[in-house]
Amino acid sequence: MEALQSLAYGFGIFFQPVNLLYCFLGVLMGTLVGVLPGLGPAAALSLLLPTIYHVPPVSAIIMLFGICYGTAYGGSTTSILVNIPGEISSVVTCFDGYQMAKQGRAGPALGIAAFGSFIAGTFGVVGLMLFAPMLANFALRFGPPEFFSLAVMSLTFVIFIGRGDVLSGLMMACLGLVMSTAGMDRFTSQPRFTFGIPALLDGFELVFVAMGVFGLSEIFVNLGQAVKRETIDTKIKNLLPSRRDWKDSAKPIARGTLIGFFLGIIPGVGAAIPTFLSYAVEKKFSRYPEKFGTGVIEGVAGPESANNAAYSGTFIPMLSLGIPTNISTSIILGALMILGLQPGPLLISSKPELFWGVVASMYVGNVMLVVLNLPLIGLWVQILKVPYSILYVLIVLFCEIGAYSVNNNVSDVLLMNIFGVAGYFMKRYEFEGAPLVLALVLGPMFENSLRRSLIISDGSAAVFFTRPISAVFLALALAFMISPLFTRKRIGREALEIEEQD
Amino acid sequence: MPKVKSGIFFFGLSLLILWESLRLGLGVSTEPGPGFMSFCTGAILAVLSLAFVYSGWGVRMTAPPHARRVILAMAAVFVYSLVLDYLGFIIATFLLVALLFHLGESRRWWAVIAMSALVTFLGYYFFGTLLHVFFPRGLFGF
Repeated sequence: MEALQSLAYGFGIFFQPVNLLYCFLGVLMGTLVGVLPGLGPAAALSLLLPTIYHVPPVSAIIMLFGICYGTAYGGSTTSILVNIPGEISSVVTCFDGYQMAKQGRAGPALGIAAFGSFIAGTFGVVGLMLFAPMLANFALRFGPPEFFSLAVMSLTFVIFIGRGDVLSGLMMACLGLVMSTAGMDRFTSQPRFTFGIPALLDGFELVFVAMGVFGLSEIFVNLGQAVKRETIDTKIKNLLPSRRDWKDSAKPIARGTLIGFFLGIIPGVGAAIPTFLSYAVEKKFSRYPEKFGTGVIEGVAGPESANNAAYSGTFIPMLSLGIPTNISTSIILGALMILGLQPGPLLISSKPELFWGVVASMYVGNVMLVVLNLPLIGLWVQILKVPYSILYVLIVLFCEIGAYSVNNNVSDVLLMNIFGVAGYFMKRYEFEGAPLVLALVLGPMFENSLRRSLIISDGSAAVFFTRPISAVFLALALAFMISPLFTRKRIGREALEIEEQD
Repeated sequence: MPKVKSGIFFFGLSLLILWESLRLGLGVSTEPGPGFMSFCTGAILAVLSLAFVYSGWGVRMTAPPHARRVILAMAAVFVYSLVLDYLGFIIATFLLVALLFHLGESRRWWAVIAMSALVTFLGYYFFGTLLHVFFPRGLFGF
């Protein structure tokens, strides 16, 4: 009952015209980015991060959330029509979606992807609404040692579940933690790692690092590759799935939603792994598993639902504990800090307008996305036809102006460009950007809780192991670290290897 | 051997981190100093870098060559950030956009100039006029 009252309050906040507008802009940008191959949600969030400085905080966060779940909708369009996933969580949709399109069933494929996403997205918001406040209440028992261990666990999960090499992931995390200490020390106000450069007194600002590593570098990488696009050039009809399609898709949507939502809560899992798992589960449950990959609607319905539900799942630890579970939530968490909001268990109770406003926006945002993705599908198909040689120039310019507009300072543009080049080389030599940025975001919490814990415990590191909740977090982190010794592969790798094979 | 080179680079970086952390002061275990965490992570980074060098030792791997246009695009954005204050937004952006259009696809020179002028104008109008971003005016005053 209390949740419903709070939700009504959230709708009151959300229906202010400015919030409605930013929600629409967010889902529109999200869909656009999802549709454009080569740009993922992390790049979109990074590119639009400078805009939040000029927007009221609640509207800014509503917009960033809209981008995040909007990409999940838009990503399916390119997978189905072009056979190029707009982002990694849409890779699986290519398997059967593109085959359906080739058989003249692009309409039902797009339709079920949108409706499945809507159902899963709505379920995910209900879950977020119920679980996040519960988790936040539980987290009120946390002290510095628990937060330190939680940060260690989250970083470990992201590195070990991630796509890259563990060693390079750990190196990136270390580098991110060191970078997070740059600027003024919070305890002694002593400048650290500034090397006499005044621009570094505020430390490495997330906005420039993220824009460079995820935005600009992505453009450089794409520029070096010839992106071949073959759009299915038939008229898209029958967007509303038939009764038969609904019958075939109902259970995959339900299973995909549950898989996506609960896996999404786990740090490091993100939205991609649940889609592969959902596909594998549907194949297992199917009466005709051999037909998967030839254009069966279950192969689209399950993963697309898992994808959307996972996004809602990832928001739970971020909003209730202040812990990002993947790169998109790291950037949103960074945005909360930029806006002067303190992420953590007190966020929901101290800023109810933010949490409930965002929850309400997600209900309406999902409806907006169905409208944007079905009746306006023709528009997105036209955008797909814009040559990359034009698009990339606009994106680079947007990055440069975006970086400049934060402080009207050219040195910020230079910093972003440095991280853009660094991000290109990181991709080239297979160093993942996610642990770096996640560590940069978690760094202040990591250091504060480490130093506070040692002060509280009189310098004894045993405090991390003797407090039960902290010990559980560290034990889970350790279990993940040593899991390769007992299983042939790292947890979550199987799903990603399917993608590499295809 | 790109892994060995990257490992050596990160090892060098970790030495710099350790040196700066020691300069900042490690403090004592009951009250860690400003260099404490960076020292610990720097030390871990040093060990990991050496392990990375070891894992890549003797592995022959040739990375594909850098595309010429990628190098040029990177150089262009760097030069842009260095000359933006001196040339002003309009001239610097026009030159950057023209070069990027040229790198993306071979087009006729007048098409590149027309498209670059249009994009620069729209960028200036949208961000400068509508969103009130104060762009640098440069030596020429615009």
